[in-house]
Amino acid sequence: MPQPLNSKDQSLFRQVVRNFEQKQYKKGIKTADQVLRKNPKHGDTQAMKSLIMSHLGQLEEAFVLAKEALRNDMKSHICWHVYGLLYRQEKNYEEAIKAYRFALRLDPDSQPIQRDLALLQMQMRDFQGYIQSRTSMLQVRPAIRQNWTALAIAHHLSGDLAEAEKVLTTYEDTLKDIPPVADMEHSEACLYKNTIIAESGDLERALEHLEKIGYRCTDVLAVMELKADYLLRLGRKSEAEEAYTALLDRNPENSVYYNGLIQAKGIPETDHKALKALYDEWVEKNPRGDAARRIPLDFLEGDDFKQAVDTYLQRMLKKGVPSLFANIKLLYTNSAKRDVVQSLVEGYVSGSAGSQANGSAEGNNEFLASSYYFLAQHYNYHLSRNLPKAMENVDKAIELSPKAVEYQMTKARVWKHYGNPVKAAEEMEKARLLDEKDRYINTKAAKYQLRNNENEKGLDLMSKFTRNETVGGTLGDLHEMQCVWFLTEDAEAFLRQKKLGLALKRFHSVFNIFETWQEDQFDFHSFSLRKGMVRAYVDMVRWEDRLREHPFYVRIALGAIKAYLLLNDQPDLVHGPMPSAPNGTEGSEDERKKALKKAKKEQQRLEKIEADKREARKAAASNAKSQSVDGEVKKEDADPLGNALVQTKDPLQDAMKFLTPLLELSAQNVEAQCLGYEIYIRRNKYLPALKCLSAAHAIEPSNPTLHLQLLQFRKTLDSLPEALPAQTAEVINTEIEKLLPKSQNLEEWNESFISANKNSVPHIQAALSARQLLKPDSKAQSEKDLLASLDSPTVTIDEAVAALDLLDKWGSNKTAYAEKASKKWPESSVFLLN
Amino acid sequence: MVDIVPLSSYPSYIDLLPSIQTCNITNLPENYFLKYYLYHALTWPQLSFVAVVRPKNGYPAGGKFGGIAGDVSGQYPKVVGYVLAKMEEEPSDGMQHGHITSISVMRTHRRLGIAERLMRMSQRAMAESHRANYVSLHVRVSNNAALRLYRDTLGFEVEKVESKYYADGEDAYAMHLKLQDQWMDWKAVEKRDREERKKNKKEGENGDDDEEDVDEGDEVGDLGKKEDGEKMVKVKMGRGLGVGDLVEKSDVQS
Repeated sequence: MPQPLNSKDQSLFRQVVRNFEQKQYKKGIKTADQVLRKNPKHGDTQAMKSLIMSHLGQLEEAFVLAKEALRNDMKSHICWHVYGLLYRQEKNYEEAIKAYRFALRLDPDSQPIQRDLALLQMQMRDFQGYIQSRTSMLQVRPAIRQNWTALAIAHHLSGDLAEAEKVLTTYEDTLKDIPPVADMEHSEACLYKNTIIAESGDLERALEHLEKIGYRCTDVLAVMELKADYLLRLGRKSEAEEAYTALLDRNPENSVYYNGLIQAKGIPETDHKALKALYDEWVEKNPRGDAARRIPLDFLEGDDFKQAVDTYLQRMLKKGVPSLFANIKLLYTNSAKRDVVQSLVEGYVSGSAGSQANGSAEGNNEFLASSYYFLAQHYNYHLSRNLPKAMENVDKAIELSPKAVEYQMTKARVWKHYGNPVKAAEEMEKARLLDEKDRYINTKAAKYQLRNNENEKGLDLMSKFTRNETVGGTLGDLHEMQCVWFLTEDAEAFLRQKKLGLALKRFHSVFNIFETWQEDQFDFHSFSLRKGMVRAYVDMVRWEDRLREHPFYVRIALGAIKAYLLLNDQPDLVHGPMPSAPNGTEGSEDERKKALKKAKKEQQRLEKIEADKREARKAAASNAKSQSVDGEVKKEDADPLGNALVQTKDPLQDAMKFLTPLLELSAQNVEAQCLGYEIYIRRNKYLPALKCLSAAHAIEPSNPTLHLQLLQFRKTLDSLPEALPAQTAEVINTEIEKLLPKSQNLEEWNESFISANKNSVPHIQAALSARQLLKPDSKAQSEKDLLASLDSPTVTIDEAVAALDLLDKWGSNKTAYAEKASKKWPESSVFLLN
Repeated sequence: MVDIVPLSSYPSYIDLLPSIQTCNITNLPENYFLKYYLYHALTWPQLSFVAVVRPKNGYPAGGKFGGIAGDVSGQYPKVVGYVLAKMEEEPSDGMQHGHITSISVMRTHRRLGIAERLMRMSQRAMAESHRANYVSLHVRVSNNAALRLYRDTLGFEVEKVESKYYADGEDAYAMHLKLQDQWMDWKAVEKRDREERKKNKKEGENGDDDEEDVDEGDEVGDLGKKEDGEKMVKVKMGRGLGVGDLVEKSDVQS
């Protein structure tokens, strides 16, 4: 039973609460201890103390104390509330909600508890619970607009648009007079209601409503956008034309507005003349803009195109606009346009451009350099690639402008396409040295180091722009600043080197950043209501729900899954990279042991280096602050090499963490589906494995990886150690029948796949692997065929690199292939076996 | 082809936040957590803009939410520039004004007027949406290209030099530009309000008018005040600091 406090202690207790609210944590603890000395079993005080402790970074101890508090006073809403708050800090939202509910049962009128519960329900997307909470909060304080808006949001997000609108209208009806224009909360709430009406599909009513409220909304651009869109979709063309014209007057650099205007005017897509005239009008109105000049190049053909692109190119080359090629290359899917561009710019450099004569010598020089630069990028681009020409042109450009960072950058890129990351990194470093204060070029130089598997050099370059006194040094700062691109590239470089611990370490870092981003929304559940910017808030909530659909996530998830697969298939890699014998034949047990010993030794060496670094940093930081400004204690990473991750007992299970969001949010990604299959099949989960295959088949039926996987799946089914349960077997049989029928002769099926795709090296590679699966004694023939595929006119360096991995998998000798590839691409470095 | 689009007003390109953060850390030494971008996007959704490379086939019409107009959710065009802007929350001079937190354009996309367009969009929104008297910004004294843009093209004036403003010890020019000339005409709005009211009254006379019944009565004053009294804790944000503190004090006041 709870002990009652005497009046002095009661006031001390209130003091503790105040201390907490004012973030005087140390004082709070002292005061709490004062109460507890006389009343050692006072639950509420213990609870408050534990809450304060949790804010001092002692969450574990706080939990112990909070549990004791609950034992002493099971019926205290304070104890339960604190218990919930601790769980919330631990991000265990389900338990937190339970605790809040208990607290609320004990004190049903408590607004703070109700609010904390509501916030968590929103975070957990428990919309029904949230509607309940918000309804009761509204009942307590109906005069506050926020409470109405919040309830409307609850209904809106739960999908009940009508109810959401009704709630907003009910509040509006209580307003005796229109709020002043300066009332942004009102302005936003009106626009919010408008978007709800539009979302319900009733554009007529949305437009009508917008007419009524729009003139006094201060987000002028949003009103204009909404109006233009409604009008166009309602087919009210002349008004839509006016609306899009107004938008373009504001911002002529938005292609969406031009599209709207063209539709409103009813200009047919084929009427190039009318289209060009329209764009020309906007060029005249806005002579410094780009969009109206550039867009016509998309639809113009023949001589019209040639003339327009000639004007465009010359103007931009004279101005020396570095993005010119990036802006033009999209035209190259049309090979006729590509050739016109090429011959025009070749013409400029060979001096046939008529307009050059009137420029000064210096201007002419710049024009020429820009043109060489353009040609270098042109010949470097995959749809118009001719690397020797690219190199020749970039050298000429550099000769004319030796200090131009962009030119030097392009040279590095040519080397990259030559398959020579070593030279590429060197050349990019030269570009960096041309402008050491520019972070952009520094970023590129670091990235090229990573592409060359030089993790340390990359990090070292990054350190030129990071706060290196942060805990964990440069890498610590990059983590803190959520530098996703670096962590991803670093991870991929480690993966290429089969340093799986470090690779997993970085992949997990990015995974955790996404968790943080998901967590970030929490504060806005209350903050945004106060600010009243509800449209942006609702968009944010929806975005958070698809957060991991972002390409950044997809990339690290694919990488992490590959790392886990590798670890599963080659458990020795836990000790670090193992040399793969170039002579192919699976090494003897002796050799394996030797290699393992070497790997372990290397691992120990790395650990020692890390430990030394840590010591050095500790020494350096001992007089500096180890606390960041917000008082949070930053700890050194106890496992910088990722040993804990790589020493997992179950890599396939660990991979699921990355795979699940991937399959859920990026189901259209064929690589994700194929990797999903690899994970499931190794876990003997035949149904999900097949589901991945079906999904992949629906996306790209002739995907090479899928081809091999189908075959492998079929073979697996045929040789199961024990039969599947009847029901499962039936589902699987029906489904696989659609993909690869049982009656199909597999060898024929495979050979016909080869002949149907004989111009695609990835397909040939997959089919050769498949053939070995069917006929293990065909290895020699497959090796020969793989070698021959190097003669394919379409083969790329990346594909040839993939072939080396394949030979590794087959346990074959790589020398012949590597030598032939080296001869084919003499500038490359990637085929030099060490 | 680069399009200049709003970040989080309408249509919302909020999906691009991670890409904007990457653009920033690629180009500039002053970096922020994603939450700081979110804080801008959700507090002043009208003020920030993004420059994106237009996807090859444009933006597929109709996003994921029942075809709501202009929804571009789930699309991830390449970000080549952004302006992140805010209103000064406690202006020292008492004048409501905007501030450019960060602006950058990828080196590969310079000389296209992107930064100028981003600035103009943001400035206009500051004036219209928030009646900003002026916009302020900081620029490195060595950054000639940016100086030319702000001073010569956009008309900013140097207010003062802030010594050692940047972490590496470089000084900054504190610049500003007046914005009153772009303010909305509130008088005209109020005039139209009056007209609408008259119109409604006429309509109201014909219909039933039960306005009286809706009044909330006595609860209003007190509670309203208390809510206002829960003042937000002001926080410095950005490097090393989170938005954590902008939450109300988490509390057990009972």
